[in-house]
Order: sequence, then C-alpha cells, then structure tokens
Amino acid sequence: MVEEKIIKKNRQKSKEFSGFFQIPNEGLFNFLPSAICVVDPAGIIVTTNQIFQNLTTYNPSEVIGQKLGAIFTDNKKINNLLVAAGKKGMAVARNLDLISQKKEKISVDIFILARKDKNGNILGYFLSISNVSEIVSEIKTIKKELQIKIGAKTKELEESRAALLNILEDVEEAWQKTEEERNKTEAIITNFADGLLVFDKDDKVSLINHRAEKIFNIKSPEILRKTISELIVFPSFSPLSDIFRKEIAEVFRKEVFLKENLIIELSIVPIERGEEKIGNLVIIHDVTREKMIERMKSEFVSISAHQLRTPLSAIKWTLKMILEGDVGQLTREQKELLQKTYDSNERMISLINDLLDVTRIEEGKDIYKPVVKEVIPFFESLINLYKEEAKRRKLKLEFRRPDGKIPKVLIDAEKIKLVMQNLLENAIRYTPESGRVTISLGYDKKELEVQIQDTGVGVPANQKERIFTKFFRGANVIRMETEGSGLGLFIAKNIVEAHGGRIWFESEENKGSTFHFTIPIKMEFEEFLKEF
Amino acid sequence: MKKILLIEDEEIIINLLEKKLTQTGYEVSLARNGEDGLNLVRKINPDLVLLDVIMPKKGGFEVLEGMSKDEELSKIPVIVISNSGQPVELDKAKKLGAKDWLIKTEFDPNEVLAKVVKQIGE
Repeated sequence: MVEEKIIKKNRQKSKEFSGFFQIPNEGLFNFLPSAICVVDPAGIIVTTNQIFQNLTTYNPSEVIGQKLGAIFTDNKKINNLLVAAGKKGMAVARNLDLISQKKEKISVDIFILARKDKNGNILGYFLSISNVSEIVSEIKTIKKELQIKIGAKTKELEESRAALLNILEDVEEAWQKTEEERNKTEAIITNFADGLLVFDKDDKVSLINHRAEKIFNIKSPEILRKTISELIVFPSFSPLSDIFRKEIAEVFRKEVFLKENLIIELSIVPIERGEEKIGNLVIIHDVTREKMIERMKSEFVSISAHQLRTPLSAIKWTLKMILEGDVGQLTREQKELLQKTYDSNERMISLINDLLDVTRIEEGKDIYKPVVKEVIPFFESLINLYKEEAKRRKLKLEFRRPDGKIPKVLIDAEKIKLVMQNLLENAIRYTPESGRVTISLGYDKKELEVQIQDTGVGVPANQKERIFTKFFRGANVIRMETEGSGLGLFIAKNIVEAHGGRIWFESEENKGSTFHFTIPIKMEFEEFLKEF
Repeated sequence: MKKILLIEDEEIIINLLEKKLTQTGYEVSLARNGEDGLNLVRKINPDLVLLDVIMPKKGGFEVLEGMSKDEELSKIPVIVISNSGQPVELDKAKKLGAKDWLIKTEFDPNEVLAKVVKQIGE
C-alpha cells in the first residue's frame, strides 16, 4: 500500500514536473524512441518512460524517488554531469555503464537538458538515454577484428620487410660478387700478356688493354669510341686496315708484319650473344721472338747443311768423274776401291740427310706439299731403284700389282719416297741371301695401304715398342751392320702421320717382318682429282 | 757456242763443272762470288747461270734478286746448285725466278749437265 502511495505521489509529481518542463504528457513520453527519465534538482528520478523500463528492466516504482546515480556504476560522474548541465544548460556523456535491475551492465549515451525558471534556478533535468551496448560491443568486436587483422597485416608486413631485407642483402651480395668478378675480369684483361681490343657492334673500340696500348704505341682515350675508319688513320694501325674491314664470321688468324722488329699474330674472334653478333674481340700476340728463333733455326740448318755437305759433295763429284773415266782410264782394282769409297761417301751423305730431316721434322718446318700422284707408276719407279741392289744381295724383289685401277692419291711425293726408301733399304739390308722382299698395295674407299714384307732377321720381341723412336736400332741388326743412324723409321712414322696415315708392323725374329703404312684417300679430293 | 756463267766459290766444284761443261761444248765463264757474278751477268749476257747460294760478298739470293729486277737479265734461266735445300729456300728461289734447284750431294756432274741441256739444249 505504501508503495502504491509513493508511486502515486511520484506520478503526481511527475505530472507536475512535466508541466514544469513543458514536456509532452505520459503518452507522448512513452512514444519517444529512446529511454527518457526526468530528475529533480537534487538528482532524484521523478519519472521514466516505457523504453526506460525496457532498457533498465526496473519497474517505475523501483527507480522513481531513487537517486539517478544509483543505477550507474559511476555515481560521481553522473552527479558531475548534472552539475555541468545545470551550468551550461545541457551535457552529454558517452559510454556510461548503467546497471540494470537484472544486474547487467548496459553501455549508454546520456543527453541531459537542464530546465530553469526565469531567474535561472534549476527546476530539474530531462535525460535521454540511448543504449549503445550493442554498438559498443560491435565496435569492440570490430576493434578486436581490426586488431587481429592489423596484427596479421603487421606480421605479414614484418615478414615482407624481412624478406625484402633478405633480398636486399642477397642483391648486395650478388652486386659485390659481380663487382669482384668485374674487377677480376678487368685485372685479367688489363694484365693479359697479349694485346686485346674489343669492337662493339657498331665497329667502335670499346676496350683496349695495356699490352695493346704498348704494341700500337697509343693511349686508350685516344682511340676509345673511335670507328675502324678513324682508327686506321693512326700509323700503327694502318697495316691492319684491310683485316679490320673484313666481315668476320668465324675465328680469323693472320700474321702481320707491323713494323721493324714487331711481328704480330692477329686473331679476331666474333663475340656472340645467342645468335646475335655483338662485336669482335681482337687478340694481338707478339710472335717477333718466335719468328726470330725460327729464322735462326732455319739459318742454322742451312749453314749446317752447307758445312757438312760441302766436303761430301766435293768427294762425290770428284769420285764420280774419276770413276766415269773423265780423267783417264782406271784399272779394275782402282775402280773397285774408288767405288767402295764412293759408296761410303754416299752412306755418309744419307746419314747427314737423315740428321737434317730430323731437325726439320722437329722444327715443324717440314712443309707438307701435296701433289696428286698416280699410285702404281709412282711406287713401281721407286721399287725399280732397288732392283740392282737386291740382285747383288741375291734377293728376290717383287712388286705385286693390285687388280683394278687404284684412285689417285694426294701426297708429298718427296716425303713418301723417303718413307719407301727407308722401309725398302731396311728390308733389303737385313734380309739374308736368297731371301725375298715383297711389296704389295691394297686399298678401300678410305685409304691406300702399302705393305713391305721380308724374310729378314725380324725385330726382337722385347724391342718392338721402341722401333719407331729416334736413334733406335735393334740389337740383332747392330750385330749385322754397324752403320745406320736409327732415324729411318722415326722419319717414316712422322711423314706418314703428317699425311694423316698410320704405320705399323708385324715381326718374328729370324723369320721376317711386314711393315704397313696407309695414306688416306680423301673423298673431298675426288672432284679435284678428276681434273688431273 | 752457248755461254754458261758459273757462279761458285768452291774450287773443286768449279774445276769439275768447268771440265764437264767445256767437254760438252759450252763456253764457261767463272765468277767466285755473288758480286762478281752479278757484274758478269750484265757484261756477258749468258744463256744460263749456274748459281751457288752461300758465297762471299754477295750470296746466291742477292744475285737472283738483282737479276729479277732487270727485265733483260730476268729472262736468263738460272739453276741453283747448293748444299742446302730447305723448302723455304726453294720457295724463295722459285719466287725470284730460278728454274731449278739441285742439292749437290743428291746429283753428280752428269746429272747437272743433263739439267743444263734440258734448259738450253746442247
């Protein structure tokens, strides 16, 4: 009953109050979309609307007549707000915690309007309370999500940053390596023992190293970026003008006499990237010293030949004329003695020739001059030279002609003659009386094979490996004949191999030997050979 | 009578060749070094020159060079007779107009004579 009285009284007060505030009546009060309550100047709740009751879950009787601060967590703040509204006419507060009847915290925004009389005395307060707990929680969720997202993004960014830093480090390292490589390459190029010149694709000089500067007596700033036409104006480059103007598709090499005491070997190498030609590299190798040594060697051989052969040719010519009766008739005994002297002299000449041939082969100067030869007549005439000798030694010398026509071959006739001489002389010299020396020829599409078979003393099994080495003579042949240079087979092997052929043998001591050598028949020569 | 100029410094070779060539019916003039040889070529205009290579004063190559520069003298056939015979030397002689190159140890006076006859007849 008392409660009802209080409520009644408050309702009455509220009606009076709403009159004070000139606010709409209870119906309209309830109609407002937000929670409303009216508080007296002392902060006591005077009235509330339906939405207020929905929001706070308090019955009007539970709150009317209570201090407004009692339903908020922060009582002091509410009082301060009312004071502030009293002073300024209104006050706004956000996010205050209201405690509902069910003891739940509800976030609310409060708008307070103070109502004053004409004299400025506060009549009371009108409060509009909006529930923002959903918004707050939403904001909180959004915030949380945002934080998670930001966290993830930050982490991602951190990772990207770390990755970028790693990349940067790698790039830095790679750059340093490249720089080191570049420095190394530059050092190699600069200090290269040969001169180097690089032309770019527009035929302009893009690099010249120290050695090239020295060879051409020029400083790099003078010729860098110069074209070939501008370059050959310099006297030191003029001997190269024709070479530089050539279109270079593959490695090109030429020996050039640049000036007195300076002979160079020039190699031009096209620089290609993929299929595109991006310039030319010119390598300048100073061959002056090699050429000088070569010339000196040649002169030495020439002088040696002259010194060694001069007395021998004088003896040969004199004996020959005496033997042929140019200076009077000889007795048989005189003739025989002189013939032996002549033969000894011939052996001496042959020994000297072998020595000179070896010198030339080892010098690499044994110029290979190929000529086209009809095979059978060439070998037949060589074999015929030994008929007399074979007869004298009571040997049967036989040439087995092959059936059919043998293709012509490209050989250095003088040199192959030397091979045949060495092989035939060995066969005849080391085959005992009534033996046999047989020469046969065979061929296929690829090569001509010459075979010299004898019934001689053979090569001792333990000496077979050394037979083609220089100055080697088999133990058994030394016992037979002390003379012989041991150079014949060495020379023969070198000549055959210079022709692209092979030389080998089979032998059995005291039964005989068969020596074989081949000369390639080159198909590419066929057209060329037809012309002969 | 056909004239042969023998340019050679080795006495015994001179004696033997002179004998062989005169016996065959050639007129032989002699020079014992390259310089005299070149002068004599200009003076007597021989039908053929037999030329040694290594000689005092001027060598055989200088004689060949001198002759090749003169239009008339370059027509005279030259046979080189030498104790040497490297391919480079043979090439050089050929380029300077020599007709033949005989290595003395490989030929005897009769064979030299045969080469002479081949060039200018008897």
